[in-house]
Amino acid sequence: MCLARVEQTIIRECPNATNFDQLHPHKIPYQMDPQDDRVESALSQLIDHFLPATEYEDESDAEARQDEILERVHATIERHQPTDTVMDIQHLGDMIKKRLIRDNTSTDKAKKFSSLYTRLLTQPVLSQKWGALKFLLELSGSREEGDRITETAAPVNSSIERQENDEQIFSMAFSGQGLHRLPVREVPHNMGDPESRIGSQEGMPTKSDLLAARGDSIDPSEQVLLSALPFTLLGLSSTPLPFNTSPASKYAVSFPPSLPLPLVSLLHTLAEPSLLYKSLDDFVHGPADGVDGGGLVGQSLRSAIGNELRGYVELVGGLESQIRRAVAAAERGQGILASGVTLKRCVVWTREATMGLRMMSLIVDKTKRQKGGQLISSVHRFASDHGDPFVRAFAERILAQITRPFYDMLRHWIYEGELTDPYVEFFVTEEAPEPVSQTSGNAVAKSQNDDAAAAAAAAAAVAAAATTTVKPGATSVWQDKYHFHAFQVPTIITEGFAKKVFLIGKSLNFIRHGCSDSDWVDEYSKSTSKELRYGDTAKLEMSIDEAYQTTMARLIDLMGNKFKLFDHLAALKKFLLLGQGDFIALLMESLSANLDRPANTLYRHNLTAQLEHAIRGSNAQFEKADILARLDARMLELSHGEVGWDVFTLEYKIEAPVDVVVTPYSSKQYLKLFNFLWRIKRVEYALGSSWRRFMTGARGVLKAVDDLVGADWKKARCVVAEMVHFVNQLQYYILFEVIESSWGDLQQAIKKPNVTLDDLIGAHAEYLRQITHKGLLGGASIRNGKKRTASDTGDESFLSQLHEILKIMLQYKDVVDGLYGYSVTEFTRRQERDARIEARTTQGNWGVRETVRFFTCLKYRSIFKL
Amino acid sequence: MPREIITIQAGQCGNAVGSAFWQTLCQEHAISPDGNLEATEEGTDRKDVFFYQSDDTRYIPRAILLDLEPRVIQGIQNGPYKNIYNPENFHVPTHGSGAGNNWAAGYAMGENVCEEVMEMIEREADGSDSLEGFMLLHSIAGGTGSGLGSFLLERLNDRFPKKLIQTYSVFPDTQSVGDVVVQPYNSMLAMKRLAQNADSVVVLDNGALTRIAADRLHIQAPSFAQTNQLVSTVMSASTTTLRYPGYMHNDLAGIIASLIPTPRCHFLMTSYTPFTSDSIEAGKTVRKTTVLDVMRRLLQPKNRMVLTNTTKNSCYISILNIIQGEADPTDVHKSLLRIRERRLATFIPWGPASIQVALTKKSPHIPTSNRVSGLMLANHTSIATLFKRIVAQYDRLRKRNAFLEQYKREPIFANDLSEFDDTRAEIADLIAEYEAAESASYLEGPTTEREPPRGGNDE
Repeated sequence: MCLARVEQTIIRECPNATNFDQLHPHKIPYQMDPQDDRVESALSQLIDHFLPATEYEDESDAEARQDEILERVHATIERHQPTDTVMDIQHLGDMIKKRLIRDNTSTDKAKKFSSLYTRLLTQPVLSQKWGALKFLLELSGSREEGDRITETAAPVNSSIERQENDEQIFSMAFSGQGLHRLPVREVPHNMGDPESRIGSQEGMPTKSDLLAARGDSIDPSEQVLLSALPFTLLGLSSTPLPFNTSPASKYAVSFPPSLPLPLVSLLHTLAEPSLLYKSLDDFVHGPADGVDGGGLVGQSLRSAIGNELRGYVELVGGLESQIRRAVAAAERGQGILASGVTLKRCVVWTREATMGLRMMSLIVDKTKRQKGGQLISSVHRFASDHGDPFVRAFAERILAQITRPFYDMLRHWIYEGELTDPYVEFFVTEEAPEPVSQTSGNAVAKSQNDDAAAAAAAAAAVAAAATTTVKPGATSVWQDKYHFHAFQVPTIITEGFAKKVFLIGKSLNFIRHGCSDSDWVDEYSKSTSKELRYGDTAKLEMSIDEAYQTTMARLIDLMGNKFKLFDHLAALKKFLLLGQGDFIALLMESLSANLDRPANTLYRHNLTAQLEHAIRGSNAQFEKADILARLDARMLELSHGEVGWDVFTLEYKIEAPVDVVVTPYSSKQYLKLFNFLWRIKRVEYALGSSWRRFMTGARGVLKAVDDLVGADWKKARCVVAEMVHFVNQLQYYILFEVIESSWGDLQQAIKKPNVTLDDLIGAHAEYLRQITHKGLLGGASIRNGKKRTASDTGDESFLSQLHEILKIMLQYKDVVDGLYGYSVTEFTRRQERDARIEARTTQGNWGVRETVRFFTCLKYRSIFKL
Repeated sequence: MPREIITIQAGQCGNAVGSAFWQTLCQEHAISPDGNLEATEEGTDRKDVFFYQSDDTRYIPRAILLDLEPRVIQGIQNGPYKNIYNPENFHVPTHGSGAGNNWAAGYAMGENVCEEVMEMIEREADGSDSLEGFMLLHSIAGGTGSGLGSFLLERLNDRFPKKLIQTYSVFPDTQSVGDVVVQPYNSMLAMKRLAQNADSVVVLDNGALTRIAADRLHIQAPSFAQTNQLVSTVMSASTTTLRYPGYMHNDLAGIIASLIPTPRCHFLMTSYTPFTSDSIEAGKTVRKTTVLDVMRRLLQPKNRMVLTNTTKNSCYISILNIIQGEADPTDVHKSLLRIRERRLATFIPWGPASIQVALTKKSPHIPTSNRVSGLMLANHTSIATLFKRIVAQYDRLRKRNAFLEQYKREPIFANDLSEFDDTRAEIADLIAEYEAAESASYLEGPTTEREPPRGGNDE
């Protein structure tokens, strides 16, 4: 009976807020009582006492009602586990003391309490000290105190809410951690037992009672409004509360003008969920707005909201049945007031639902123009950043649903390398198919790049003016087929993570299409594919990391072993960068006669024949046939008056998929390098052959005419030696200090464990950049930024100077050859003269006089000094 | 088109050095003593510069072995590598008495064997696609190598005026009195031919070789085999760029062109480091070999294979460092900077010169303990001091007209001794040329030629 009394007291004291939760501390001692029977009987007595059977209803009705109440009370008791409250007796004691001090001017009472308190604490017999104290405090204190205690001492357990019968739908829809702090939360409790209010009639009339008592004079009566309310809440027009029909102001409801202001304000509040519902319902069922109707993610958002709305509809259904019961009771004469179902109560009941509706409407509003990842990000922002746990939990739930298509796409992407994204929602997009067919790797090049290519070829042809308009624009399948959109990355995954995902899918796709190894991909996706779901971040990351490593390893393996990427790189260095010295020397020698002729007399088959010869005659013959087949000699587009040297070029054909690394742009760079190096080599060769001639000549012919041209030869030789030295040092610099050391870096970069294809591409690009830049070819076109123009001209002038020097060397070589020719003529002339003298002497005549020599000498000097 | 080089070994010393050289080459190219290939992989080296393949795919050296007495050649014919040589390429009189350390005798005997020897050379030359030149191995102190070698140089010059002729000439020890009293005569006479008829002479000073063997290898009385091995190491190193083609210096002309600006100054000196037990028996293990270590040691006079007296004017006309092994180009670059900072090498004042570097692979078939080894080929003006010493020794003998009798017996000195005086003048000219190269006015006054900018490796 103790409980009954307490309950009674509390109900009397605070008739408006019969919050069971607030009562729970009282119950805890009993809950802990092991004697359940006693509690049971006490409870039924209590219920009997408070809810006596009325004369209107029959026995069974009353029975059922009592059972229902009993169950409810049980549930209420059960849900308060002892852990729910911190039975901090110290705190309680302090509180009592504080209150005593506050309420009384003197501290006598407090002191007295303190001593009593200590004595109590030392009492070993009493086990429920906290309960006893609490009980006493409750008895003596005001309600307000009780509230405070509850707040401080009783954290709540949210899960209990779900147990409650009528609230179930509601909590399904809108439960959240913070909910309990909302002042409206007691509403659902009452929904289940409006009739229990009858009991409260015996006490003080509630405010709503009072309000309702005055409600008779309202037209239309509250009863009418109440019965129209469910319709309104579901967005349907009813006679008293019609919706506007004009499409312009679809979301407006009009109230009867005769209503008093307080009621109108209540109706306004009630109209909010109804209007929100109406608009959301329109959103869910209405035609898709935005681009592509928001795509798959948008569709799932709709369905998620639709689900939530269903919860709301069910709530309204529950509400309606309450209202109907109340109305029926009222018709039986009991009066609507007695039922306790009033407009105000409806407001309270729908409060939480309104929150949810608002939330959804906010989401819908925010994501109106968004799709895919952005949409997910927007929702995720609610789930992650929002301070309100209710909002967070709600957003999480929505998120779990709307990410489903996203994860589906993700799964396809990382396990199969296929993009199934009809609405372009994923953060990876496929390039729209080019008008140029993608049959060969090179064909992917955009048309403007073709122009650039032509320009580059022309520029390479005139290597002296090695200006190039080529941008290092990548033109490969690998880089162009798929694009990564950072803004589409949903915030549920990090950017770095998304990059990884992007790479995985790209690699898989590349393996499948670029490397035509779809068997492996199929195998792989079959063996590793698993369901991905929102929330399980750790597992997701793990599986993505795994996929990342597997695909990368496979891709590198394919590149290295199947497509011989590294062999190709080595071959490029050997042939285009002159690494295979004997081959280059032989090619140079066998071609030199051909290339001295004007460019338009060259025939390609001659060139290829010489190339073939050079390959066979050098160690290049031991290269793999595949590599040699890619080597080709050809002429650049010739312009008028050029000699073969200017237009000859070696070419190394790169095919897909290796062209992902050695892009067409890189090939052009290689060609440029080759032309430059070839030019230097040519000067070296020319100087060398000249040197050989006059050096061996020194043993014979030249020695004989030393008196005439000795001084000139000395000078010429020293100049040639200087040139040889210069050319050698230049070559040494480019070949060893630039190419070899860059090559070393490249080797290091590509030999790293866990290297990715992107790393390879990057390393190779850097390698080329280093070579072209340090190799005096002016890396300016590769560097971007403002410095470009300045350094461009700088490099330009340096390079053209270099070319000028090389040209002068060739001219000088011609002059020295002329000198040699002159010396030889002189030598033979002398020999002939000697022979003549000898002949004449033997005939008994005198020798000849020298007149001619002087003139030739003059002539030669004028040539040589030019 | 391998740019073949035909090796001619003349005399006792030349054949001994040659046999060590071929042994080294065979090891480096994994050719077994019977000429078969031991390793299967192809594509890194070029064996055909020095070898050709017989019908049964054995590798045969492009070598011609000449001597006037059978002892050394018989040793080769009975040695482990006896089967590798082409038996038709030996020329040795079965009961020859040799040239008796007489240059004139060797020279005169050349006349007798000329036809047969030239026939051999022609045959070898015809067997080459693109003959680059000849390599003569000999010593200049004795009779055969010196006299016959000189004779051959003249003949080669006439017969192959456009082919390069390089010699590896062992010079006598000029610091101590040699066992051949007439070696100054022989040396002078041979040097005249070296100066006039060769394109490049790699001078190997016997005195320096002995000293290096003593200092570096701690052998007090080095055997001929050991010094020969030193020489063969140098020879194989100086031909690595030909045998393992890389970016540059892939032919003999390429190497010599960068070293010899004017035809007269073509006497090259060498240094090699490190001599380890891998290449030389009983060689000591050298500490760490970094590129800088190697390049610095190469510049030290004590590592030079020529004994010279450096004056403050003497300078390098050119340097080519052939670095073998795992040399990082950036290390080389740093070392060059270091050497330039420290002024470890002085160069001619009249032209641009700097240390040129050729990086080459090491033979994969010979395991070596050192990471990097280096050979320096240098054209240094101080080589003139070596000539001066020989001239001084010659002058001492000539003043007294000592030991001239045996020379007068030979046809070249039959009429008078003017050949000696010619030679003396020629060598004096050579010395003068080297001394002139030390001065800034070598080019005779300011040049009118526009000079190309110096140095290509400024970054």
